This record gives sequence, C-alpha cells and structure tokens, in this order.
Amino acid sequence: MSNAIKIGLEIHCQLTGLQSKLFCSCSADYRGKLPNENICPICYGLPGTLPLLNQKAVEFAGMISIALDCLIPAQTMFYRKNYFYLDLPKNFQLTQYDTYGKSSIGSGGKLYYGSKTIRIRRVQLEEDPGRLIYEEGNTQANLYTLIDYNRSGVALVEIVTEPDFEDPKDARTFLNKIGSIVEHLGVCDTKLEGAIRCDANISIDEGKRVEIKNVGSFRELERALSYEITRQKSMSLRSIEIKGETRHWDDSRKVTKKSRTKEEEQDYRYLPEADIPTVIFEREFLLSLKAKMPELPYDRKTRFISSYQLSEHVAQVLIDKKELADFFESAIKVYSSAKEIANWIVNDLMWHMDDAGDGRSLFANLKIEPNHIAKLAKMVDQNIISRNTAKTILSQIIRTGEDPSNVAEKNKVSKIDDKIVISTAIERVFDSEKTAVDDAKMNPNATNYLLGKVMQLTGGRADPGIASQLIKKRLNQSE
Amino acid sequence: MIDTDLIKHLGFLCRLELTDSEISKYISQIEEILAYLDTLDSLTLSHVEPVRSETSLAVLRKDNAKAFEGDVSEVAKNKKDGFIKGPRMA
Amino acid sequence: MSNLLNLTVPQIVTGIKNMDFSAEEYVSQVLAKIRKVDLEINAYITLNERALEAAASIDKRIRMGENVGSLAGVSVGIKDNICTKGLKTTCASKMLEDYVPPYDATVVERLKNNDAILIGKLNLDEFAMGSTTEYSVFGPTHNPWNIEYVAGGSSGGSAASVAALECAVSLGSDTGGSIRCPASFCSVVGLKPTYGRVSRFGLVSYANSLEQIGPIGKNVSDVVMVMNAIAGSDEKDHTTGPLGAEPKYSLKSGQNLRVGLIKKVTEEADPDVSKCIYDAMELFANSGCKCEEISLASSLQYALSSYYTIAMAEASSNLSRYDNVRYGFDMSPDGYEWNTYFMKVRSNFGEEVKRRIIVGSYVLSSAYYGKYYLKAQKVRSMLIEEFKLLFKKFDVLVSPTMPILPFKIGEKISDPLKIYQIDVNTVVANLTGMPAISVPAGFSNGLPIGLQLMADILQEQKLFDAAALFEEKLHPPAGSLK
Repeated sequence: MSNAIKIGLEIHCQLTGLQSKLFCSCSADYRGKLPNENICPICYGLPGTLPLLNQKAVEFAGMISIALDCLIPAQTMFYRKNYFYLDLPKNFQLTQYDTYGKSSIGSGGKLYYGSKTIRIRRVQLEEDPGRLIYEEGNTQANLYTLIDYNRSGVALVEIVTEPDFEDPKDARTFLNKIGSIVEHLGVCDTKLEGAIRCDANISIDEGKRVEIKNVGSFRELERALSYEITRQKSMSLRSIEIKGETRHWDDSRKVTKKSRTKEEEQDYRYLPEADIPTVIFEREFLLSLKAKMPELPYDRKTRFISSYQLSEHVAQVLIDKKELADFFESAIKVYSSAKEIANWIVNDLMWHMDDAGDGRSLFANLKIEPNHIAKLAKMVDQNIISRNTAKTILSQIIRTGEDPSNVAEKNKVSKIDDKIVISTAIERVFDSEKTAVDDAKMNPNATNYLLGKVMQLTGGRADPGIASQLIKKRLNQSE
Repeated sequence: MIDTDLIKHLGFLCRLELTDSEISKYISQIEEILAYLDTLDSLTLSHVEPVRSETSLAVLRKDNAKAFEGDVSEVAKNKKDGFIKGPRMA
Repeated sequence: MSNLLNLTVPQIVTGIKNMDFSAEEYVSQVLAKIRKVDLEINAYITLNERALEAAASIDKRIRMGENVGSLAGVSVGIKDNICTKGLKTTCASKMLEDYVPPYDATVVERLKNNDAILIGKLNLDEFAMGSTTEYSVFGPTHNPWNIEYVAGGSSGGSAASVAALECAVSLGSDTGGSIRCPASFCSVVGLKPTYGRVSRFGLVSYANSLEQIGPIGKNVSDVVMVMNAIAGSDEKDHTTGPLGAEPKYSLKSGQNLRVGLIKKVTEEADPDVSKCIYDAMELFANSGCKCEEISLASSLQYALSSYYTIAMAEASSNLSRYDNVRYGFDMSPDGYEWNTYFMKVRSNFGEEVKRRIIVGSYVLSSAYYGKYYLKAQKVRSMLIEEFKLLFKKFDVLVSPTMPILPFKIGEKISDPLKIYQIDVNTVVANLTGMPAISVPAGFSNGLPIGLQLMADILQEQKLFDAAALFEEKLHPPAGSLK
C-alpha cells in the first residue's frame, strides 16, 4: 500500500493593486493606519448600508483567472457565507460559491511548472475580515478582545487548487510561482505584509482530509506540511485513526495543533447576495481583458531566453521574482550586455540577499541600483577592473549605494595585485616608452625605469614583485 | 422533525438564547409555519430558473478611494485606544 | 391661518411660496396636532427638535427671493427603519434603541434637497416584521378611525400619522404589503414602487430582494409629488441600476384603461370588502374603462409560502449583524465569552423577529436549501412570466388590498400564522417586483377598505392614472379625519 500524499492549497491574495476596497470606497491600503481610521458605514456594517462592487476588482480577478487558464463564466454573482465572528462586521462574509450553480469568476484552470500540472478548481472574489488583537497574547487572562476594522472589506482573490501536490517542496515552489504571476499582473504586491496567505489541506493514503491554517509564510507552509506528513504517517503506523479536522500551525513550537474553533462543523447557510445583481459579462469584456494582460512570467522567461540568449536556469531565477526581472531589464537599458548582467545578478547579487522570501523585498537591506550593476559589468568588460575587484566593489555598493567608479577610485589606495590590471598598465607604458623598452631589452637593469613608470601609472599601488615579473615576461615576448 | 434539539441547534447557529418555554412555544409554531411552507414541495420546477436581477460591468463602482466624512466608530459604546472592544474569544 | 392640515401637498407648497402662510405656521400646526392626538395614536417614536427651525429657514429664503425645492415646507414623517443622520433610528427594537446613524438614507437626502421638513420617526413592527405594528417595542400604533383597532403594518405609524393629519406625507417600506396594508386600514394612499425604482440605501434591511421604500399620502397627487422627489437610480444602490430615463410622474385621470379584476381573492374576501371592490369595478366601467374578470393560474397559491420562505431566510441573514459590538445599547462585553455575549444580547429581539430568524436559518441550511429557498425563487420566476403575459392585455389589475377589515388590537397576535395570511393579496407584487398602490375605497361600520391596483414593472404612471381616476369619481369620497 503506497502512502499516496495529496495536498491541496487555498491561496488568498489581496488585490493591493486596487485603490479602494471590494465593496466600498475606503482605501485598499490599510497598513500603518490608526485603528478604525480606514472605515465607512459599509465596511463597518452599519444598518441600512449596501455593498457596492468594485469594477476593477472584477477585472483583476478576471485577469488572474486568465493567467491560470480558467474558464470565465458568462456571469458572476456573490453569496453570503453566514457565520458569527468578531472580525466580521455583518456576521457574514461576501464571497462566491459554486454549489448552487457556478458563480465564481474562474474555474477549471491549470498551471504548469516543470513537468507537473496543477489543476485550479476555482478563482473567486471575497472580502477580508477585520483584525482581532489580544493584549496579553491569546490567553484566558483577557477580559475582552480589541477589534480593528481597517482591513475589513479589502478585496481578496481566493485560488483553490485540486489536491494535486505530493511534496511540500512543490507546494512552496507553486506558491512562489503564483506570487510571481500576480506581481506581473500588477494586482498584488506580495512584498506587503499579509498580502498573500495560504491554507492547505492534506490527506494520506485516501484517508481523511486535514486542513492546516494559521501559516505565516510559504516557508512555514512547507514546514507545516512536512510536519503533518510525519505526524499522520506515524499515527497510521500505530493504527491510530486520523481525524478529518482543522489544525493550526504553531510556528514557535513547529507543530500543528487541533483548532479550538469548530469551523468544520458550521452550516454556513449560503444565500445569494440580493444587493449585488448578477454581473453579466459581454463578449467584449473577455476580449478586452485578454488584450490588457501584461506579460506573464512564462512569456517573459521565453523572451529573456530568445532575446538575450540567457540560459533557461538563469531566466527562470530572474522571472521567479518580478523585482529581479525588473532590476535586470532596467540594468540592460544602461549597458546592454545582457548575459553578463544576468550572471552578475544571479551569481553574485543574489548571494547577498536574504531568503526571507514572502512578505519582504529582496532588496530590503540593499542599496544597489540597476545602473550600478550595469556600470560594474561594463568596467569589467572593458578591463578597467578585474572580476575579483568587481566582486569586492559590489559588496561595498550594496552597503553604501555609491557609484561603482567612486568606489573603484577609493579602492585605488589599496594594493593592486591583479595581474590583468598590472599587465594593462605595462602595455600602456610599453606603448609610450618605446626607447626605454629597447634599452631594457639590451640592459636588464634598465627595467627599473619601466617599473617606475608602471608604479607611477598605478598610483604607486601595483605590487612591485608581480610588476617586475610581468615586465620581464613582456620583454621576453617582444624578442 | 422539529424538536427541542433542533431548535436549540438553530438557536445557537443564530446566536439566540432561548428559554425552555420559548423553545416549546416555538416548536409548535414553527412546525405550523414549516407545514405551510411545505406546500412548495409539491412543485417540480426543474425547468425553471430562479429569479435574479442583472447588471453589467459598466454600471459597477469605479475604483476610486474616498474617505468617509464623519466618525463611523463613534456609534460604538465600548472602545479602547481607538479599537472596538468586544467580548473575549474562548 | 385656519386649519392648514387638510391641504394637499401642491397646495402647501404654493401657499408657502406665495406667502399665504409661512412654513413655520404650518409646521406649528402639525406639531400641535401631534401633541393633541399622538398619545392616543402612538404613530411617532421620535420627533425632530429642529423641525420649526428648518421651517423658519425656508421662510427666510423665500422672503429673500431664493429658489426653494419642490416640497418646500411640506411636513414628512419617516418610518423608523430608514436612517436619518443625527436623529435616532430604532427600527422599534431594543437592539437599536439608542442608535443614531452618521448618515442619511438617500431618500431622506433627496427629501431634504427638495426642502421638505422632517417631522419625526414613525412607529413600525420591529425591524418591519409584521402586519399590525403590534410587534413594536414602543407599543402598537392605533388606527385613527377607531383607536381600538390596529393601524396595519409594518408601516403602521406612517399610515396613521398621515390619516390623523400628523404630517402631510410619510415614507414607509413594503416587503410583503407593509405600506399597502396600513394604507388600506387607515384609508390613505400608499405606493410600493417597482423593485429598484427607489434607492434602498439607508433602509435597514429585512428582506432585501423584496423590499422598497414608498410614499404614503392623503391623495394621489401627494404621493406623486413625493415619488418625483425620491425616485430614480442611486449610485449607492446597485439594485436601482440604469432603469432608463429618470422618472417624472404626472397627475392625470386615466383614459380608456384596461382593468382586470382578480376574481378569486375578491370573492374570498370579507363580504363588505368584496362588495366595495365590485362597486369600484363598476365605477371604472362607467368611466370608460374596459373591465374584465380574470383568474390567475394556480401558481398564486404558492405565493404566500414563497414569500415567507424568502423573507425569513433573508431576515435571518440581514439581522446577523446585531451583536451589540459595533453599535447598540449599553452592555459592556468585559468578562463575557463571545458566544455567550452574542446570545445574551440578541435575546433582546422580540418574539416575532426571533421566530423568523430561526425559521429563516432552517430553510437556508444546506439540507433544505433546494426544498424551500431555491423553490421559492423559482416560483417568483413563474409568477413574473405569468404577470408579464397578463399585462399585455391589461393596464392595471384590481383586488382588495386586504381580504379583511381592520381588527382589534390584540385579536390575532397569539397566532402568527393567522397574521401571515392577511398578506395574501399583497405579497405577489413584492415577489415579482411589480409596483402596486392602495387607494381608499370605502368603509364598513367606520372601518376603512382599500382597493389595490397593480401594474407592470416600471408602470407606476399607469397606477397613478387609474388611482387618480378612481379618486376623482368615487362618491362619496373616502374622506379624511378632521
């Protein structure tokens, strides 16, 4: 009996690319605001208010559906998911639901990566709830809960996959791909805290499905899934029944724990939202949406390979994070040696980046600009500095954000032992001091004059031993 | 079957606290009401679409942010440092 | 100036504009009337302390030669489930007993823009659930024609206040007959507009796929004036969509109307009510209308069950937000576990509201969704098709508004199903979205009888034409209280 692992993902992606919330004109940007400062009668759930659907949100959700190769229906509508919770101002969530008839904005899609195909069950629009804050951590000691509704009503797109994953690593890779897609679409800035969240479900060997929630990052998700596989396998070895339940990931203890809120026992009493009429899509809508689609990661990769002759691996690394691909394309505008620049980025620049991954910019602590890399590559190509020197300079630029030539200038006070640099200096001296060269060929002692000139040219920094050696060698060559 | 357990369960789903006398009163009343609604059962309507109103994308709200002029959370009776105070979770 | 309270709205507007009398004088008379009769009638929950001030400011603008709105100086009462900024809006419930909205409903904004004077908030069944206004936490509204009798509901306060001359016009809301029923019981004109004709932004939701705000007045012209001020699409309410050109209704007696009498419900009504309606048909026939009796298909028998299924289902969801956390009455959450707090707080709903929430949740549970809610929504589609065909042949359809005469307060309250059944003639207009109006048709032992007219979607003008014709020709006229 095989231990067939089935993992499915439920990804929530905030439409941070919108100006306003899903059903009201409050700002979509709630971060950093004072509590309950970003609310209105609608998203606060005051009596008598009605939801007003954001047109652009529907377009964005449509674009995500297209990018995931989903079928977009001829119309879309909203349902109420009825349950009580402190972060839900109306004690129902406006969402989409397919059980009583297709209402979601996308279904039956797929995403390839490598040799794998992951099927997308549906793509739907829904609203984010508010946030609960506990003063003393989530303990019994609290007399009350504090609630901030600034986030309430922010637009989310939920992407649900079929349980096609077998390996937690694949799930994580997939999540990064989704991140890159929504970044390239311009609908979600995954670097913002909480902008892209994921729950998962997992079953082993046709057993009961366990839902995993409360995962703070893609890295945590991989850990949680790996843990869960271990837990379930060990239970099964001991013939203990695996319950179909919801478990929360505890990242400090690195375990999943049974969830105390019995979400799975709820009857959500879904009901069509009568205040939002069914939105009928004209044929032009789909065509215009397809025309509006920006370049997707896969197509960008193909273009990088064909236009810039990058290798598949290098191109893939660049497009996996839109920031990197954008940085690359900005750099090659300054200096067009694409392969060089790509290699600098992939081999050297990335080495300095934190792999904190989701939720932060790769360039978070880095002060380097695209034109810096471009200049650096150019300086190396023109032999002004050696590759090794360039690597040193790179570290400094990252720390200080200074222009490469300035950094190189400053570095001139340090010793040059780079043979290529010295040889270049020697060539120049040989060119301009032909008489001295002839002299030196005759008289070995006359090489000191040439050495002197080389030292002059390199600001006194060339290593004299190496310089002498190279001068001798050069003299012998011209025999 | 409308019984005490069902009414209690529905009561909890809707967060309504019902006294025992309320429950027994509701059982008979709700049974009567449901029997009345059950007349719908005799209909076969597989060929009929449920009613819906329709709109087009063009009529939906444009994506412009506009802050509400006024203090919404002023209507809350229990607040602390700008947060709304609610009962404790668990 | 002597009694201004019997003037029509056009007369009030003209009189004030021409400075025959001042808005302040007029509103003073209204307030005096309220002081005199409302203790007995109980139509008002809250009075607007600034009404006289607003009236005075209109007078000032007129003296300075400024333009004023189409309803300048007209006294309006607003049902207390319609939000008024800065003025308590309770929905006749303990849950909202202190609630002061920070915004105006669109209809209130439009009335204000037309310089109407907001007199106060009117009594209703709690959260608009009921047909007698006996479910109000502030006590029932009494019928001005006989105070031992119900005023109808749920907009009992809205109809009674107009009948008792406590305001010139009022706004009510109609989910299954809640404007037309009290209009019929109180002998005033009440209109339920086409679904989506009037903005629901600011109407506290009970059953949002069925309800509409509508005007109540002593006569058709007053109702037309108010409709012209409040109707029209609103960007704050998606269901008002682009319904075509913004309405501008006129008052004229209809000519050559094709009138159909719904036979069965007329026959089955109280004998005095039946007779009154048959007399009305004769009046139409004698006025040059083409009259015919019609039988509706059997789908009508499912109308009441469909209505209550949908209304209760939507109510159970619409009332979920009342958990006393974001707004409500004084009850600190400190120390309470959240489910306990919610349950305790929500025990303050009245019995009828709780009953509907429970039944509503039942019909929405996944096991029963197809059996009740989905079927009810399909019945609506069938009814819409059926009436579409009918309206190819007829301009308006006639029936009694209520199958019975007003009854005594307390008479039916112990049997909820009995009260549900009096809605039998009115729910069909809500299920299909059609506009419907109730006009005074006569009396039986001093108790009012109402005639209901229904027209096709967006054909309010036809309703006004038929109603105006009826009003003009009715002898003796239905009469109003002095």
